[in-house]
Amino acid sequence: MPGHRTKGFCASAAALALCAVLAGCGGSGDTAAGGKVVLRYTWWGNPDRAARTEQAVALFEKQHPGVRVQTSFSGYDAYKQKLAIQATGGDAPDVMQLDYRQIDQYASGDVLLDLGKVKSALRTSEIDAGLLATGRVDGTLYAVPQGRGTETLVYDVATWKASGVPLPKQGWTWSEWADAMRALAKKTGKPGATDPGQSEDAFEVWLRGQGKSLYTKDGSLGFTASDLTRWWTFADRLRREGTVSRAEQTTQLDGTVENTPLGRGTASSDFNWDAPASGYLAIVKGGVALAPMPSGTDGTPGQYYKPSMFLGVAADTSHPKESAELVDFLLNDHRAAKILGATRGIPVNETIREQTASQLKDFDKTVADYQASLEGTLKDPPQAPPSGDNALQTTFARDYDQVSYERMSPREAAENYITEAKAELRS
Amino acid sequence: MTTTDIPASTARPPRSTSAPARRPKREREGAAWVFLSPWVLGAIVLTLLPMAVSLYLSFTDYDLFNAPHWVGLRNYTQMFTEDPRYWRSVTTTLTYVVIAVPLQLALALGVALALKNMRRGKGFYRSAFYAPSLLGASMSVALVWRAVFNDGGTVDNLLGSGGWINKPGWSLLAVALLTVWQFGAPMVIFLAGLQQIPAELYEAAAVDGAGKWRQFVSVTVPMLSPVLFFNLVLQTIQAFQVFTPAFAVSGGKGGPADSTLVYTLYLYDRGFVASHMGYASAMAWVLLIIIGVVTAVLFRTSRTWVFYASEGER
Repeated sequence: MPGHRTKGFCASAAALALCAVLAGCGGSGDTAAGGKVVLRYTWWGNPDRAARTEQAVALFEKQHPGVRVQTSFSGYDAYKQKLAIQATGGDAPDVMQLDYRQIDQYASGDVLLDLGKVKSALRTSEIDAGLLATGRVDGTLYAVPQGRGTETLVYDVATWKASGVPLPKQGWTWSEWADAMRALAKKTGKPGATDPGQSEDAFEVWLRGQGKSLYTKDGSLGFTASDLTRWWTFADRLRREGTVSRAEQTTQLDGTVENTPLGRGTASSDFNWDAPASGYLAIVKGGVALAPMPSGTDGTPGQYYKPSMFLGVAADTSHPKESAELVDFLLNDHRAAKILGATRGIPVNETIREQTASQLKDFDKTVADYQASLEGTLKDPPQAPPSGDNALQTTFARDYDQVSYERMSPREAAENYITEAKAELRS
Repeated sequence: MTTTDIPASTARPPRSTSAPARRPKREREGAAWVFLSPWVLGAIVLTLLPMAVSLYLSFTDYDLFNAPHWVGLRNYTQMFTEDPRYWRSVTTTLTYVVIAVPLQLALALGVALALKNMRRGKGFYRSAFYAPSLLGASMSVALVWRAVFNDGGTVDNLLGSGGWINKPGWSLLAVALLTVWQFGAPMVIFLAGLQQIPAELYEAAAVDGAGKWRQFVSVTVPMLSPVLFFNLVLQTIQAFQVFTPAFAVSGGKGGPADSTLVYTLYLYDRGFVASHMGYASAMAWVLLIIIGVVTAVLFRTSRTWVFYASEGER
């Protein structure tokens, strides 16, 4: 009976297709070839950082003829996702660049090697003890900070100067910033800045300017829905009046400088971390300069020095010694330091920092001078964020999308965020 | 069938009816299992076991790093009662299914009808229309799609509409169009179905004075309904599981404003980005149930509109 066969065939085909819903996925890479030890080293960053890192890695390979280093890099958002999948699949790269947010999670999840085990190959004596401590979880060193960074307002120098709006100065407040952006938008006919509403980092600076913090000491939320509502109302108003970027522009942010409004030439400034701002040099014709972040109304600074990024070694690497040597080289080798400059922030090795301070040039010098200008004015950094923050950073931007596309009021979105954050931090 | 087959097949029947022939049959069954074993093993190890594990994990809190610990139904209650984004992903997926499936089937049927009576170049056109289905699953095409529908992209330049993918009202349509464009598989099945319809039926209808439209409604549609049903069920199941186009077109975020956050993309986000694998497993099981229910409903309604020629004879 052809009819019945068709029916049965339909049913079984449907059942098979159903099963496919639950089938998983997999994949892995191999890291041994040609008699050489092959290390995988991954990081996030801009093309400038990539070029310099490749150069440093080439030097390392020259010094260690038995080792080949496979490198790969991407923008921060893509990197974060990819690393999470590699780490959970037991396929973490031998040497990986890590953010402050990832250390707690990856260390407690046995992804990272206890660096005490490779002490002989990895020297940490010249790194400031306080800074080094940021790579410890429960007393064990899992990652070494590579640099020190702080947030900045990076702006298109030529456009800003031509507009006649007074240049930003240290100690300016958020309302002075808003006034400057408004004036800039009026003069240039395009938004003054990226909409800061989507940025958890910018929100943190604003919050700290009021003496509050993202998280309390015990790792729960340090602010209320009202705080967040005020921040999003502030951003919402600026966006509606055209002072900061439109939703269609803001939603395209993906952690690369190229996809920011400043990078696309549709705004005149952006909040970013100081070292990665070097990526703008290649794409902003008028040149870029760095200015301090706005402070609270009473002048309380919100920005702080943060270990800008870390290097860690995979717990299940087959080559712990070589991996540690690569980390050591990137942190402590003088020639490597010369190549890398301040591409990952001001170097953490104190000897190198002192020696290279006078030799820094171009944008590295800009970053160094910027940090020097803030020396002594900033408050202590917060402790490492709880592991849920890794996901909350994305949630924050998504919830603000609902505000910027005018699908929710700032209050509704803020309450949603608080609900989601509490669930995230509880588990 | 070649003529050399005939002597062999006529020689067989006497042997198969004799008594000793039963054992070879059982041996043949054994042999069948041997040949099936790679598939059966694969199905057990790669599908059934992971399914069992995911069912277990759906009742646990599991962050992929530390051992899972039992939380009972908490994942399910959280999903239904305290996760607004979950419900957004459900409605987004339903909207997507309702847009993509009918559009895709209509296009597939339309093209199949156009190709059916084509005398020359049929093979070429059939391959040409099928090609997107081969390419469409790839990431690269999805990325091209993203570029086409981005601001400053082709569609923006042609229609002056701005980038579809950055507008919450339009982005899901851009994702659906990527799926619709891959109508090759249902088209080929429709084409095969169309060729099964006896020409006499059309001739008889023409003699009775039926025009083209009447023939389509009264002959083609009923005769094709089993194939239509088959395509409908398969495409619906696939549409519920859409992932790649939504992932690529939205840059992995399901944006803007969660407008392309389809179910599996949110599932991926929970599991691999936020490291809540227990929650993601619970979501997978709920999706299985949703698809199962929808499929059952489709099978139910099929009794009223699917016509099987064999039933007609009875």
